[in-house]
Amino acid sequence: MEKLEKIDATEKGRNYRILLILSVFIFTVPFWAGLIPGSILHMDIVNLMVLAGTYACAVIGLNLLVGYAGQISLGHAAFFGIGAYTTAILCTRMAWFPTWLGVILGGLVAGIIGWLVGVPVLRLKGHYLAMATLGLGEIAFILFTQLKGLTGGTLGILNIPSLSIFGLEFDTEFKLYFLIWAVVMLMMLLSINIICSRVGRALRALHSSDDAAEAMGINTARYKTMIFVLSAVFAGIGGALFAHFLNYIDPASFTFFLSILFITMVVIGGMGNIWGGLVGVIFLIFLPEVIQGLPHWIPLVPESLTNFGNYELVVYGLLLILFMMYMPKGIAFGLSRGTSYAKTKFGHLRDRISARKYEGH
Amino acid sequence: MSEQDMLDIDGVTKMFGGLAALKEVSFSVNRGEIKGLIGPNGAGKTTLFNVLTGVYRPNAGSITLNGSSVTGLRPDQITSMGMIRTFQTIQLFEGMTVLENTMVGCHTWTRSGLFSSGLKLPGARREEEKIREESMVILKDVGLDTRPGEQGTNLPYGQQRMLELARALASRPDILLLDEPAAGLNQYETGELSQLLLSLREQGLTILLVEHDMGLVMKVSNEVVVLDYGKVIARGTPDEVQNDPKVIEAYLGIEAD
Repeated sequence: MEKLEKIDATEKGRNYRILLILSVFIFTVPFWAGLIPGSILHMDIVNLMVLAGTYACAVIGLNLLVGYAGQISLGHAAFFGIGAYTTAILCTRMAWFPTWLGVILGGLVAGIIGWLVGVPVLRLKGHYLAMATLGLGEIAFILFTQLKGLTGGTLGILNIPSLSIFGLEFDTEFKLYFLIWAVVMLMMLLSINIICSRVGRALRALHSSDDAAEAMGINTARYKTMIFVLSAVFAGIGGALFAHFLNYIDPASFTFFLSILFITMVVIGGMGNIWGGLVGVIFLIFLPEVIQGLPHWIPLVPESLTNFGNYELVVYGLLLILFMMYMPKGIAFGLSRGTSYAKTKFGHLRDRISARKYEGH
Repeated sequence: MSEQDMLDIDGVTKMFGGLAALKEVSFSVNRGEIKGLIGPNGAGKTTLFNVLTGVYRPNAGSITLNGSSVTGLRPDQITSMGMIRTFQTIQLFEGMTVLENTMVGCHTWTRSGLFSSGLKLPGARREEEKIREESMVILKDVGLDTRPGEQGTNLPYGQQRMLELARALASRPDILLLDEPAAGLNQYETGELSQLLLSLREQGLTILLVEHDMGLVMKVSNEVVVLDYGKVIARGTPDEVQNDPKVIEAYLGIEAD
C-alpha cells in the first residue's frame, strides 16, 4: 500500500512544495524590488504585483472553471466589478462599515449572482455558459454606468477607504502587497486541495465526457454550478481588493476587455494546470511594461511603443493565436516540461560523472 | 414482479420519430444472475441500455430497480441507486491516471463536498484514504494494479476495457450493465473476462450482459434474452435459445425447418 500512496500523492505533494517555495519568493519581492533603481526598470514592481494579485484571484477561479471543468466564461469582469462595487458602495456610504467585511460581502454577492446565472444555464450542455456570461458582462457594465445614484455613473466612486482589519491599516502598497498575496496563496491552497479530491475528480471527469461522468453518478449540472459559483466568489473578492487598492473605481475598469484579459491569462498560463493562472497573470501584467520599456533600453526602437494602450488588443490577440497553435498547454506546462528535461539531463550527467569516478577507482 | 427481481423492465417502448427502436420490451433480471442480452446489430440492445440508465426517456413502460421505480430519472440518480453501466465504445476520462479513473467510480458512496475537500477536513481526508484503498483492491481484482499511475488512455485496448469495468465496480453496484465488454479483446483476454464475470456473480453481483461473443454469453449466462427489431423474440437458458428457430432465423435470415 505504501507505494500506491506515493503514486497518488506525488502530484499533491509536489504542488504543496511549489506553493511553499513560491510563497517564500513572492513574500520577499517587496524587500529587494525597491533596491533596483526605478530609472533602469521603468516600472514599479510592487505596484504591479499588487494589481496582479487582485487579478490573480479572478484568474485562479477562472482556471478551475475553464481548465478543469471545461466551461467557458466570457464575463468574469462582471463578478470582479460586482465585488468592487459592493465593497465600494458599502464603505463609502457608511464610514463605519468594516472594509474587511466589504471584501467578504463582495465575494458573496458575486457568488449569489453567479448562482442565479449558473443554475438555469449550466443545465444545458455545450457552450451556453459562454453566451450567457457574455451577456452578463454587458449587462453588468451597463448597470455600473446607468445606476448613477448607486454607482456614480461614468464618474465612478471616489475616496474608497483603504483596507483595515481589526485596526491594522493596509494603507500603503507595501503593506497591501502582503495581504493580497496571502489571499492569493490561500486561494491556491484551496484550489490544489479541491483538484486532488472527490470534487476535483468529478470536475475533470465531466470535462472529459459529460455522459461518462453522469454514468458514474456525477450530477454534472450541480458540479458545474458549484465551480462556477466558486470562481465568481474568487473574482468578487479580487475585485473588492482591487477597489480598496486603487481607492477609486469606474465602469471602464470592468469592461468586456477585462474578461478577455482574464481568459487570455488562463490560456497563456496554462489551462488545467494549477499554476497556469498565476503564471498567466504575472506574464501579462509585466508584458506591457517590458514592451513599453524597450525604447528606453534599446536604441532605434520606436518611441511609439510606449503607448501600449494603442495596440494592446493586437498583442493579446496575437499571443492567444500563437499560444493556441504552438503551446496550447501554456507557459506553466512548458516550465514543468523544462524542469523535468533539465532534471533528466542533469541526472544523466551525474550518472556519467559517478560512473567515471567508479571506473577511476 | 417477484421478490427476487433486481431489475424489472415492463412494456418499455422507445420511439425515434416514427421508428420504434424498442417495442414493449419486458423482462426481468433476477438477483445474483448473469442475464445475457443478444440480438443482431440494430436490434435495440444499446438503446435499451440507454433507456435503462436514464440517457433516453421511454415513451411507455416502466423500469423498476430493487423495488423502486427509476423511470424518467437522470443517469446520475439511477447510478446512485445501484445500477451502473459500461460503454460499447470505451469512455475513460482523459488526463486521469488508472487509479484516478477508478476513484471517480467511488463517487456514488462518498459525500465530501467543496468545503470539506478544499479545507481538507478530517472527514474528507479519511474518505479520500478509503477511496484510494478500495480502488486499489478493485484494480487488483481486475489485474490492473501494476501501474496505477499510468494515464488510463495510454493502456492497451484490452486493459482499457478492464479499467472501465473496474471503474464501474468501484461504485459498489447492485447490478452491472455491460455493453459488449469483450469487443476487441483477444481470446486470452476474453477468457480472463469470463472468469472475472463468474467470480463477480459468486460475490452476489447481478449482471446484464450485452455481447456479440456467443461463446462468452453462453458460458456465463444463467438465462439469455434475444432482441430483434426492438422486440423480445426469445428467452430461456443458453441451450434453449441456441436451438430456438426464431433466433436462428434472426441471425441467419433463413427459415429453419
